[in-house]
Amino acid sequence: MHKRMKGLAKAAAGVAAAALLMTGCTPGGDGGGGATGSPDSGELSFVYMGDADQQKAFNALFAEFNKEYPDIKLKAVGIPSGNWATFSTTVATRLAGGQKIDIIQVATEGQRLFASKGILEDLAPYIEQDQDVVDDYWADINPNLQKFNEEFASGPDGETVFIPGGFNTMAMYLNKPVFEKAGVAIPEDGNWTWDEFVAAGKQIKEKTGAYLTGAGSGYFVDVMPWLTTNGASTFNADWSEPTYNSDAAVESAEFARSLVEMGLAPKPGGQFDGNTAFKQGKLATLNGGRWPVLGIRDMEMVDQTVVVNWPTQTENGSPVGWDAWNITKNSENKQAAWTFIKFLMSQEAGEYFAQIGGTIVPARESVANSAAFTDNAPEGTVRLSEAMSFATPIPSIDQGAEAQKAIEEAWATIVAGQGEAQKTLDAAQAELESLVGE
Amino acid sequence: MSDDTIVARRPEALLQRRRAEAAGWLFVSPAVLLFLIFVAGPFVFAIVLAFLKWDLLTQPEFVGLANFEQLFSDPELPQVLWNTFVFAFASIVTHLVFGLLLALGVNNLISRSIGYFARVAIFFPFLISWAAVSLLWKYVLDPTFGYVGQYAAMFGIELPNFLADPAWALPAIIFIDLWHTLGFTFIIMLAGLQTVPSELLEAARTDGATAWQIFWNVTLPLMSPTLFFATIITFIGAFQIFDPIQIITKGGPQGSTTTIIMYLYEKGFQAFDMGYAAAVALLVFVIIMGVTLLQFIGRRRWVHES
Repeated sequence: MHKRMKGLAKAAAGVAAAALLMTGCTPGGDGGGGATGSPDSGELSFVYMGDADQQKAFNALFAEFNKEYPDIKLKAVGIPSGNWATFSTTVATRLAGGQKIDIIQVATEGQRLFASKGILEDLAPYIEQDQDVVDDYWADINPNLQKFNEEFASGPDGETVFIPGGFNTMAMYLNKPVFEKAGVAIPEDGNWTWDEFVAAGKQIKEKTGAYLTGAGSGYFVDVMPWLTTNGASTFNADWSEPTYNSDAAVESAEFARSLVEMGLAPKPGGQFDGNTAFKQGKLATLNGGRWPVLGIRDMEMVDQTVVVNWPTQTENGSPVGWDAWNITKNSENKQAAWTFIKFLMSQEAGEYFAQIGGTIVPARESVANSAAFTDNAPEGTVRLSEAMSFATPIPSIDQGAEAQKAIEEAWATIVAGQGEAQKTLDAAQAELESLVGE
Repeated sequence: MSDDTIVARRPEALLQRRRAEAAGWLFVSPAVLLFLIFVAGPFVFAIVLAFLKWDLLTQPEFVGLANFEQLFSDPELPQVLWNTFVFAFASIVTHLVFGLLLALGVNNLISRSIGYFARVAIFFPFLISWAAVSLLWKYVLDPTFGYVGQYAAMFGIELPNFLADPAWALPAIIFIDLWHTLGFTFIIMLAGLQTVPSELLEAARTDGATAWQIFWNVTLPLMSPTLFFATIITFIGAFQIFDPIQIITKGGPQGSTTTIIMYLYEKGFQAFDMGYAAAVALLVFVIIMGVTLLQFIGRRRWVHES
């Protein structure tokens, strides 16, 4: 072999060896144990999902933490991934790339995935060492949140690997000027039915020309609200079997399609700017959890907006997804990480985060019902917190991103009028069944 | 010259040659280093990965040829490849035809200033990022608020829901891609046109050839190396299309715009199946290399080399 070719071959072999070495350096490993560091000092890497606006609020929260613990150097990395499936992938990629992460703030959509991989520390010893702090936290949060956390986000052997944080349910933000102009009464107790919703929409369309709602296909924001308010869901209670083609689910999808057919929702298939339409009086409702509040504040429409429950067909319903914190097994500062988690669980942190513009409902009910959360927010904001009592955890199997794609594509097909509801949901159901079977 | 001098000079010459070699290696070392890190390294890594089952979070497991076998039994892959080839073929045809027509038009403009303006105007969309272009066209094609639909409605025309209709989504993406990247093909074509010797065109005119005859018998054959180059880079670029699809349709509706790179991304970064994604990546490599080789073999038949 020519000398230079030999050199190249050596280089290629080196790269291959490096590649093989890299594949051996996954974050899973045997991990665990090892040095846990000091609770008051050390360097912490905290990863969370947040766009530029949300990162401002997070940064203020971290600054508040550092006032109390100046020797813990917190390196917070916000990932503006837009959805939790992408966030989970991004974090997994960073872990695989050898990045040190001590705490990952994961939402429901990614919790089971991370919990099942054995990369998270069992939090029982930490909970035990600060039992009073944790008990105080459990006593102040909705019992459903603790229950859901145990049921859906435990480690492979049932160990506690997550502490649940804030959550989001789904509600509707009504545009008061549009409703008043159309002469439509806003439901006083915050409850209304699908029929009342449609009747309101027709009157609004006739009197103001405004659309009643958007016609999206987002799993959390569009699909699940229509399903849960009709007693349906994408999966059964323990997420072991898909139920996406049940009669109730088909009825929900057909109803969502009918809103487009009646002209109460704009046709899907483009870029509909809900906030601008809401501000201009061309849209009567915005759908969301806590996050639309930031936009409503920017539009200076806080006093012109009311939060009500999602309209119902059979029962009140909403999906719920919650943030949760963990400590990774390969963290070298586990005690400092626990200190930070305790800070996040505290009443002070909850209030501070709610005040500065957090986009979640605080886990602590005392905070969710306090001025810190309800001030400078639309009337009826507490309904977001109350919805936890009837909410369904957003089903999130291990193959979450693929499942979400199948669910959203089927819904989009139906809402766009490109496929018959039963047939389309049957096909999606088959796809979900194959994913569960993997 | 004495023998002693020759003997003394030999090691010196050798040293000088080695120095020159070392300097050469030093000069190319940044490029070699970048190539090793960003091309050769990932390529070798992809080959290794294709023999593993790896979800990024747990230890990889050696699975032999299982990922390659899966390529032949994957029910989604044929549709994905079909979408990709349709996109690539349509992209080549439209880019070459419209790029050449625009270049001919601009090349024949009498006014220099209009010519410069036309070049900038045609090339300009290529300078805009794919993210901005994708969002722009999502607004433009919105079935309710988009101005395309609104203007059509003024003339009583009801347009299809381009981005939500499986029959129209891929053509819409092909059109958006053409709008965005045509400027690049146009510039290549224009450069090619300007290399056609004017004395040949003048001679053809003197011989009484019509405009069409001049184009067909003189311009086009002399443009063939440019066309060949444009065909190759358009195919390679088109086969790797990802950004607009991810932003505009995410592969939908009903998988009608899922191309091979989109599929690779889904398998690797959504299904966490890095091994299979690497096998798909190698398939992409083989297809692009195969088609490019075929193009090189076929060039003798139609590319005018002199």
